[in-house]
Amino acid sequence: MPRNTNGKVNIPPDFPVIYIDDVHRYYVVGDFVVKALDGVSMSVGRGDFTAIMGPSGSGKSTLMNLIGCLDTPTSGKILIDGEDTSGLNETELSYIRNRKIGFVFQQFNLLAKMSALENVMTPLLYTGGIGVKERRERAEYALERVGLKDRMKHSPNELSGGQKQRVAIARAMVTQPSIILADEPTGALDTATGNQIMELFGELNGEGNTIVIVTHNEEIGCACPYQIRIRDGKREV
Amino acid sequence: MFFENVKLALNSMRGSKMRTILSLLGIIIGVGSVVAILTLGESATKSITESLVSSGLETISITPMGGAKQFNEQFGNVLEQNVADIKSVLPVNSSGTRIRSGKEIQSTTLYGVPSNYADVLDYTCAQGSWFSAEDNIYKRQVVVLGASVAEDLFPNGDAVGSYVSIFRNQSKRYLVIGVMEEKDATLGSSFNDNVYIPYNTFTQRFRRVSTVGSYIVRIADGADATKVGDDITAFLDSYIGEDYYFLISAASLATMAESITGTFSTFLAAIAGISLLVGGIGIMNIMLVSVAERTKEIGIRKALGASPRVIKGQFLIEAITLTSMGGLIGILLGNGLGKIVTNIAGWTFHLSVSACVLSIGFSMLIGVFFGLYPAAKAAKLDPIDALNYE
Repeated sequence: MPRNTNGKVNIPPDFPVIYIDDVHRYYVVGDFVVKALDGVSMSVGRGDFTAIMGPSGSGKSTLMNLIGCLDTPTSGKILIDGEDTSGLNETELSYIRNRKIGFVFQQFNLLAKMSALENVMTPLLYTGGIGVKERRERAEYALERVGLKDRMKHSPNELSGGQKQRVAIARAMVTQPSIILADEPTGALDTATGNQIMELFGELNGEGNTIVIVTHNEEIGCACPYQIRIRDGKREV
Repeated sequence: MFFENVKLALNSMRGSKMRTILSLLGIIIGVGSVVAILTLGESATKSITESLVSSGLETISITPMGGAKQFNEQFGNVLEQNVADIKSVLPVNSSGTRIRSGKEIQSTTLYGVPSNYADVLDYTCAQGSWFSAEDNIYKRQVVVLGASVAEDLFPNGDAVGSYVSIFRNQSKRYLVIGVMEEKDATLGSSFNDNVYIPYNTFTQRFRRVSTVGSYIVRIADGADATKVGDDITAFLDSYIGEDYYFLISAASLATMAESITGTFSTFLAAIAGISLLVGGIGIMNIMLVSVAERTKEIGIRKALGASPRVIKGQFLIEAITLTSMGGLIGILLGNGLGKIVTNIAGWTFHLSVSACVLSIGFSMLIGVFFGLYPAAKAAKLDPIDALNYE
């Protein structure tokens, strides 16, 4: 891949935002080696809405952790927005998580002692160099986008499940990341609320956001335009 | 980021008030006792110094020891010739005795002093007069009473002109010619409980040796008391030898008091310091609990992009905020205690600024020291494990 004078990779506009080439991830448990991922290759284009699907134990969570820069592969190449994450240390990974990834979790994972607004402001705090005024404005805008303008001062335990997940989505998009990475985002919600959340993802995708949803739910997965299926640590073709 | 972390720390303290207070107790007690001890030490020293200065920085007392022959009635002249800035040297003899008037008997200290004694020490008569040089030369049996003695023996105030009996082997009758004003004690001797007779009368009736009990040196007005004291010491060491006398000046007493209270409060503060250390271990314990309890939160923050350094900073600042708060409460408590005790003891309260600054600094240091390990532990947590922690 060509590099410019700054040492940064020049990314062609059509280069996939997630590029994974023959990735292996092994865990050593006692005397055994567990091959959670055993040679997976895939890519997600900019602006795609992709589901990573597979039954539990298939390795999809491992794959999600690698895409989300929470983990690094045993071997193989992962490029997130053109940046190779395989050799990075924890500080460098946290930098990429903050700027390129927006997480949405099954259990929402909001910070309980903070208001919705403060929750959404938190990632911007870690970006550094953004004043409190701008952080608040951007967080308010994100909350407005997910339809929670009137719930900003509420703490998570004063919100319904659907509302919590909307706060989490606002928190994921407030940094304008390259990827919104959602792990079973409807798993803790009833079907109707889950559908509303999926509709919101659809809208956000329509605005140009790249969205990856990790799920074992066929219905949810098939609602996404693209599917990548994982089974036994390998890609199902 | 710093202020956000302080805010976070305060929020988390507010969330568990009881636990915060209990875990801070060690620091609070430690800082409180250090501050109280140092404040009391400083207040005591200042009060002692103040009372010494007000009661006679201008006098120095020399007590002969081991019967050196140089300490005779001419010693005063020798001293005045050899040391500058001396106004006068008073030879003084004294002895415990009993004094009687009618049916009233009092224990008192009998002083044989020169006729200029009252003048030199600014000791004034309330009634009658001090004895004259003639009284001294002719060894007359006259006596001047201290204020308390006069009041006890003559409640009606008719002392002057009466006779009192002073016991020494046998009782002798003395004419009371004067009663003194009240005067604060100086250098350990209380004026009000004493009675005074002419020096020569005392020598003839009570002592019959040529050595002198002690000397009171009055230094020249405006002279530096410490310097005169040092000069006298230097002169006496070469003239007689340092083992043959004992010198007390207000300046030397003040220094002594300072070093005694200083040593004492350093010792006590060191003991209190140990409780600070114990308090620090309490902080470490509570921070480790806090890190364990908030594993999930740490995982979420890491997922949102908090670097290990940021997480470490968050918990370190929390520990420092915690201990600083304990330090502040401790300072308030310590000063409050100091204020109460100084009030009871009748000293003037002196805020020990150095103790306060030191305590806050030390509390923060404890926060850093005992917060570092829990914070490093939080920073090292694996993000995936932390996120999955329930």
